[in-house]
Amino acid sequence: MKRVYAFENRCLGCGLCEVYCKTAHSKSKDIIKANRNENITSAIVIEEILQPKAVAYFALQCRHCDDAKCVKACIAGAMYKDENGVVRNDKDKCVACLSCLLVCPFGAVKKTEEGKTVSKCDLCIDFGAPACVENCPNGALKLLDDKEAEALK
Amino acid sequence: MKYVIIGNSAAGVNAADAIRKNDKKGQITIISNEEFPAYGRPLISYYLSGKVKPENMSYRDASFYKSRKIDVLLNTEVTKIDSKNKKVITSGGKKIDYDKLLIATGSVPFVPPTNGLANQENVFTFLTYGESRRLKTAVNKNSKVVIVGAGLIGLKAAEGLFGQVAKITVLDLADRVMASVLDKPAAKLIQSHIEQNDIDFKLGVSVAEVVGEKKVSKVVLSNGESLLCDILIVAVGVRPNVALAKESGIKVNRAIIVDEYMQTSQKDIYAAGDCVESWDCLANACKVLALWPNASNQGETAGFNMSVGNKQKAPVSFAMNAISFFGLQLISAGIIGEANKNSIFDRAANKLRRLNIVDDKLLGYVLINDTQRAGIYTALINDKTKLSSLEYDITKKDIGLSVYPKASRVCKIWGQTK
Ligand SMILES: Cc1cc2nc3c(=O)[nH]c(=O)nc-3n(C[C@H](O)[C@H](O)[C@H](O)COP(=O)(O)OP(=O)(O)OC[C@H]3O[C@@H](n4cnc5c(N)ncnc54)[C@H](O)[C@@H]3O)c2cc1C
Ligand code: SF4
Ligand code: SF4
Repeated sequence: MKRVYAFENRCLGCGLCEVYCKTAHSKSKDIIKANRNENITSAIVIEEILQPKAVAYFALQCRHCDDAKCVKACIAGAMYKDENGVVRNDKDKCVACLSCLLVCPFGAVKKTEEGKTVSKCDLCIDFGAPACVENCPNGALKLLDDKEAEALK
Repeated sequence: MKYVIIGNSAAGVNAADAIRKNDKKGQITIISNEEFPAYGRPLISYYLSGKVKPENMSYRDASFYKSRKIDVLLNTEVTKIDSKNKKVITSGGKKIDYDKLLIATGSVPFVPPTNGLANQENVFTFLTYGESRRLKTAVNKNSKVVIVGAGLIGLKAAEGLFGQVAKITVLDLADRVMASVLDKPAAKLIQSHIEQNDIDFKLGVSVAEVVGEKKVSKVVLSNGESLLCDILIVAVGVRPNVALAKESGIKVNRAIIVDEYMQTSQKDIYAAGDCVESWDCLANACKVLALWPNASNQGETAGFNMSVGNKQKAPVSFAMNAISFFGLQLISAGIIGEANKNSIFDRAANKLRRLNIVDDKLLGYVLINDTQRAGIYTALINDKTKLSSLEYDITKKDIGLSVYPKASRVCKIWGQTK
C-alpha cells in the first residue's frame, strides 16, 4: 500500500502542498477559484519543529493505518477502508461528530471550515495522483510503498 | 464452523466482519430484535432533527451482509442460550446451533420506578431508531416536552427535537449537565450554550409523580413544582443488557465478565460492547464503557478470536467522547480530574482546554471548541507517555506530532502504521 511520506530536511513549510490539495478536492479544479472562492479544508497539516538554531517543517497526511482507529470509532459508518486499503471519508454520511479526530494518533483528521464534515487525505483517489506529491517544488513529499519507505527511512 | 451473533450493532457487525476475514467458509448468523439493518445508533438524534435522512442511517453499505455471506435474522429475539447443547432459542421457537457464540446485546434503557409512570402512551426512551421514529411522528409544534436526564442521551434528544416543538425542559438529579463526564466549569459552559437555544434546565430535582390517564399531562417535581407535559422522555441512563447471559449461567457482575480475549466464563461464548465490563486501564478497574469505539474494537477482537483461537487481546480502553450540541464541540477522554492549573478557559470564545496531568503523565482532558488534533492527546494517555520525554511542555503550546523527539516521530510516521 502506498502512502505519502514527508522528508523533513527538504520541507520549507511553504504550504504549496495545501494549495494543491485544496485544488484537487475542489469542484472547479482551478487553483485560483478553489483557493479563493471554494471553502475547502486541506487534508494536510504542516508542522513546525522548533530547533535550537532554526525552524524545520514537515507536512503530514493520514497514514492510512492498517488498523485504522478512525474507522472503528466512526459512529456513522462514514469512515471506511476501501478494497485498496485507502481510508476514506464518505461526505454524505459524515456528521462531523469528530469521533475519528478523537482517536487518530497522528492528528491527521481536521474538522472542515464549513463544519459539516471532516477532511483527511484520500491519496487523491478520485483525482489521479496525490496533488501534494506532484507539486511540491522541493521534492519533500514522496508516494512510496512500504518497501520503498523502509529503504529510505 | 457455525457462528451465531446476538446483536446487530457496533460490536456484532465488527465481529462478523472480522470472522469473515479469517474464515471464508463458516456460516455466520446475526440475530437482532430490531427491524432495521445495522445503523449508527448515535445518529438517532440526527434523524430526529432531520439532519440525517433514513438512507444515510445505515452503518454499512447495502451489500454488506450479502457480500460477506452473513445471514441476518431481523425482528427476532433470542430468548434462551442453551450452552449445554450449543443452541440459541428464539421467540418464534426456532433453535439455532452454534459452535461459537457472541453476545453483543448492548444496553437497555433504565426507567426508574415512578408514581404514575406505568402504561402511559406518550412516554419514550431514546435508544433505538424505532423509538426515534415513533417520537418524530408523535411530536408537533405545540408539544411540551419534558426530558428526564441531562446526560448525553437526554441532551441529544433535546437537540434533535429543537425547533419542532413548543417547549423543551430537561431535568436532572445532579447539579450539572453530563455529570458523569464533565466537571462544573465545563458543564456550565455547555449548559449556557444550550440554554441560548431556548431549552430550559431544572437541575437538582427528580420526578415525584407523573399525572395523567393513559397520557401524561403533567409532571410533578421533587421540589413541588409542576410542569405541563405531553411528551415525556426518560433518559436517566442505560444498563448493560445481561439478562440472557445471566440466565444461561454466564458470570455477570454489573455487566458480563470477559477475559482479555473477550471470552466469557463459558468456553466458546464471547461477549463484546456495552453489555460487558471492560478493563479501564486508567482507573485500574473493570468498568462499563458504553461507547461506540469501544464496542466496535471489542467486537472485532471477539470475532478474530472466535475464528482463529484466542490470540488477540482487546485494545486498552478508557472513557472518551466526541460530541456536539448546537454547534458547540466537546471532546473529552480519560480521567478529567478536578479543575486545576492546566486549564485554559476562554469564556468569551466559549473555549476550554483542560489537561489533567498527574505524575508526569497525561491522564485525561476536556476540550471545548478547541479540538484540533485531540487524538494526539488521546495517544499520550493511551501510551502512558512520560511528558518529560517530550520536546515541549504540552500545557504551553498547541499539540502536534512535533511534540515527539525526532527518533520516535520518524518511527511513528514511517514505521508500521499500526
Ligand atoms: C442517542 C445516543 C447517542 C449516543 N452517542 C454516542 C456517541 O456520540 N459516541 C459514542 O461513543 N457512543 C454513543 N452512544 C453509545 C453507543 O451507541 C453504544 O456504545 C453502542 O451502540 C454499543 O454498541 P453495541 O454493539 O455494544 O450494542 P447496541 O448498539 O446496544 O446493540 C445491541 C443490539 O442487540 C439487540 N439485542 C439485544 N438483546 C437481544 C436479544 N435477546 N435478541 C436479539 N437481539 C437483541 C438490540 O436490540 C440491539 O440492536 C450513543 C447512544 C445513544 C442511544
Ligand atoms: S485518519 Fe488517523 S487513524 Fe485514521 S487511518 Fe489516517 S492516520 Fe490512521
Ligand atoms: S466526524 Fe464523520 S467520519 Fe469522523 S467519526 Fe464522525 S461521522 Fe465518522
